Amino acid sequence: MLFISTVNGHERMSTRDLLLRIKSAVEAGETDFRIEASGQHDIGGPLWNAQGRTLHFEVSNPGQRVGSMALPGTEIVVRGPAPADVGWLNSGGRITVLGDCGDTTGHCAAAGVIHVAGRAGTRTGSLMKHDPRREPPELWVLGTVSSFAFEFMGGGRAVVCGVDAGGGGGEHPAPSVPLGERPCVGMVGGVVYVRGAVPELPPGVRGLPLDDADLAWLAPGLASFLAAVERPELMKALSRWRDWRKIVPDMHGGDGDGAPGGRDGAMRRFRAHSWPEGGLFGDVLPDSGRVTDLVASGDGRLRAPVWDAEAGPCRECLACVRACPQAALRRRGATGGGAPCVFSVEPARCIGCGICVAVCPQGLWRLVPVPEGAPL
Amino acid sequence: MPPVKRAWPRAQALSANDLPWLVRHDAGRCVLCGACTAACTFGAIEAKLPPRGASAAVWEARKEKGRDGGEARRPVIVQRAEAAHACTGCGMCEKVCPAGAIRPVRNADNRWGVLSRTAEGSGGAPARRGGRGGRSVVETPSRGRTLDAVVIGRISQMTDPALDSERHTFELRSPLGRLLRPGELPLRVEGGRLALAGETPPVRWIYPVIFSDMSIGALSTRAWEALALAVAWLNEECHLPVRMSSGEGGVPTRLLESELLRYFILQIASGHFGWNRIIESLPRMKADPAAVLIKVGQGAKPGDGGLLPAAKVAPHIQAIRGVPGATLHSPANHQGLYSIEEAVQKMHLSMNAAFGFRVPVAVKCAASATSVAVYNNLLRDPYHICGGFFLDGMLGGTGAAYAVSLEHTGHPVVSVVRDCYRAAAGQGLQGRIPLWAGGGVGMNGDAAADAFKLVCLGADGVILGRLLLQLLGCVGNEHGRCNACNTGLCPVGICTQDERLVRRLDVDAGAQAIVDYMRAFDAELRKLLAPVGNSSLPVGRADALVATRRDVADRLGIAYAC
Repeated sequence: MLFISTVNGHERMSTRDLLLRIKSAVEAGETDFRIEASGQHDIGGPLWNAQGRTLHFEVSNPGQRVGSMALPGTEIVVRGPAPADVGWLNSGGRITVLGDCGDTTGHCAAAGVIHVAGRAGTRTGSLMKHDPRREPPELWVLGTVSSFAFEFMGGGRAVVCGVDAGGGGGEHPAPSVPLGERPCVGMVGGVVYVRGAVPELPPGVRGLPLDDADLAWLAPGLASFLAAVERPELMKALSRWRDWRKIVPDMHGGDGDGAPGGRDGAMRRFRAHSWPEGGLFGDVLPDSGRVTDLVASGDGRLRAPVWDAEAGPCRECLACVRACPQAALRRRGATGGGAPCVFSVEPARCIGCGICVAVCPQGLWRLVPVPEGAPL
Repeated sequence: MPPVKRAWPRAQALSANDLPWLVRHDAGRCVLCGACTAACTFGAIEAKLPPRGASAAVWEARKEKGRDGGEARRPVIVQRAEAAHACTGCGMCEKVCPAGAIRPVRNADNRWGVLSRTAEGSGGAPARRGGRGGRSVVETPSRGRTLDAVVIGRISQMTDPALDSERHTFELRSPLGRLLRPGELPLRVEGGRLALAGETPPVRWIYPVIFSDMSIGALSTRAWEALALAVAWLNEECHLPVRMSSGEGGVPTRLLESELLRYFILQIASGHFGWNRIIESLPRMKADPAAVLIKVGQGAKPGDGGLLPAAKVAPHIQAIRGVPGATLHSPANHQGLYSIEEAVQKMHLSMNAAFGFRVPVAVKCAASATSVAVYNNLLRDPYHICGGFFLDGMLGGTGAAYAVSLEHTGHPVVSVVRDCYRAAAGQGLQGRIPLWAGGGVGMNGDAAADAFKLVCLGADGVILGRLLLQLLGCVGNEHGRCNACNTGLCPVGICTQDERLVRRLDVDAGAQAIVDYMRAFDAELRKLLAPVGNSSLPVGRADALVATRRDVADRLGIAYAC
């Protein structure tokens, strides 16, 4: 265990010196830290043990951004309150603050867990995200949060218990104002669980009652949160689930709204030797590198014709077959025979130009947009 | 013959003549191959039979064959008179037409200014578009661009020694990082020699060009990769240490965990998108990034955050950014920042700390009437943790934005660069925090001349953005051609995430074009350095310039020549 006291008489250790000292100790293999800080910033992240061992921090009197950019395998307990930006950009750390937190707590957190034993300030939880490679980030606040919380939230789970920090009385009624003014503006993802009255929400975001799936996550999570913040006696008062609502954004889906070149193949050779194999995006979006023309058939089409026998009687004039510049249309069923006439499109030839649609005197062809990646 | 039943349009109906572009189709030349309608990403044109009735051709047919010629009707290509399918003038139809039968023409009589804000489907929403802003500034014929009124007028002729651009050795390197004044250097004398007694801030000496800030959401994977590939090639094969800023929208993990990372600047903006993956990659990074750039604002739409329409939030973007497939607005402001002092404290200190104080951290703001005040504050930074001030003027911009921001907000970069340089020089602090300037640099194709003039006015280097897209094949311009970056329907596969369109872009050919341009840029920069007599960058040497306009000369404090 490494104990660092940051004040020596009238000499106070600078943030830079403290962070570099912690970093070198971590590199030397130290995993347990007790830090008596005096307002130094950025304690606790981003750090990692080369062997993957967990790093433990116990911190008092920190400056801003405790646990900012913390990585998985970092566990931080702050004895007492912490100022702004606790767990900013948290990328996997477990951060527990046994006191109030300042503004922008959990701002941009994309993984990990943040426990706040008191209240949290303005813009708490704003721009939280969810990286699908990780479990959703969690932000638990025992007290209330101030105005503009959860702005632009894109993912993750936040829980606001609304317990009056000054409390007492043992009853802990659900608060009338668990969230401050104008929460969740611009929220597009994730969920905020709130105990107490949900204030007016911006367009595109709404409050709903909890369902079984919510409770399956919230109930056990609440128990471990209360254990972490050393308030297990609150479990009963907080388990009246009818006091809770969840805030979620409305369903998404929009806002209404040949061979590679390079001169002499030199760039291609460079890519073969000096570039990540499969390209920079090969792990998230494999790309064959094939270059297509402006006019493409098959799965390169933007639109495709559909023949609809129900739209009216086909007079078998064959205007469509004759007009098709790609000879992509086929007829099945003989003229005058028993089987009705049916037209189909060969995707490998069709470019989606719509000339068949134009020439059909009966209006049996329609040109429809093809969604990207649709089966042929 | 019975009369033809028609539905006549009402006075309020749209016609093609209300739209910004008209599609001219010559039915006499058309071979009905269907290429134009197939290639058009906007669905602006369609094949239609001409209406029934006695057209000239029908009259001829009647005369000759005694019938109405109805069956002889032949499809023509017509423009759809719908705001949602308005022609953007991109010209792909003309490009694919084998017969020269179709092309878009600019429509001076359009009503787009009102239609784009009121037409069906957009009612009540502010107009958005892509492309470069400040068109009204650019198009004023009597004024033109400021930089075009500035000439390199001090030519060494029997005065200071002129150099030979082909044979002389030039040192074209600019700093990115905090430079200490001589008195601030932690030096001590050891046995009669100077030795370092402490740490100095990290400084990179790089080529005076940075590829700017276009995110992997705004650009297609192939377009972003082509830029990155060109940067790697320029560094490793051409000895031109150009750097590229990632933009904010995530950085591919494969790049983060590659040696190539040293050529890249990681950007953090108000959305902090993708930073969790950057942080997660820290233990596996093989090289430090070139720098971290904190984006506070951008010149094309100052005061506005990033805007990525839902159509471009593809699954890989969702994963890298950690968000669902919704329209993504980055906040207009960094949400945890409330003052310059806090910006320095929080963002600069944290980014310095995250990389062990080994990586320069710079900040980018939209050029503004307040830029000098910001720069003065940064210059007072006692921690030496601000490693650069990036000024982004109007006339830049690539992705989606509100039209009102693009057209009516911003500040030209030229006078701001000059003011900042002079403010620093007045305190003897010039060169301590490098100034990098962007926003319309190279918009007429002459990036080297623009760069040289900005350097003489006080910039340490320049930022290129839109020009790079044009090298990849972007057909947009300041006069309203295409500029559909906001639609996800980019016809050349640059500003889209639709894989069918992305496949239109050839990564290697695009990277090659950028490399070729930068080699020409380097030769042209020497051509400008040589006559002035400098073998290194003449930062702040405004005496090398003269202005051909009195107002420009007065404002920039350079000589007027006529």
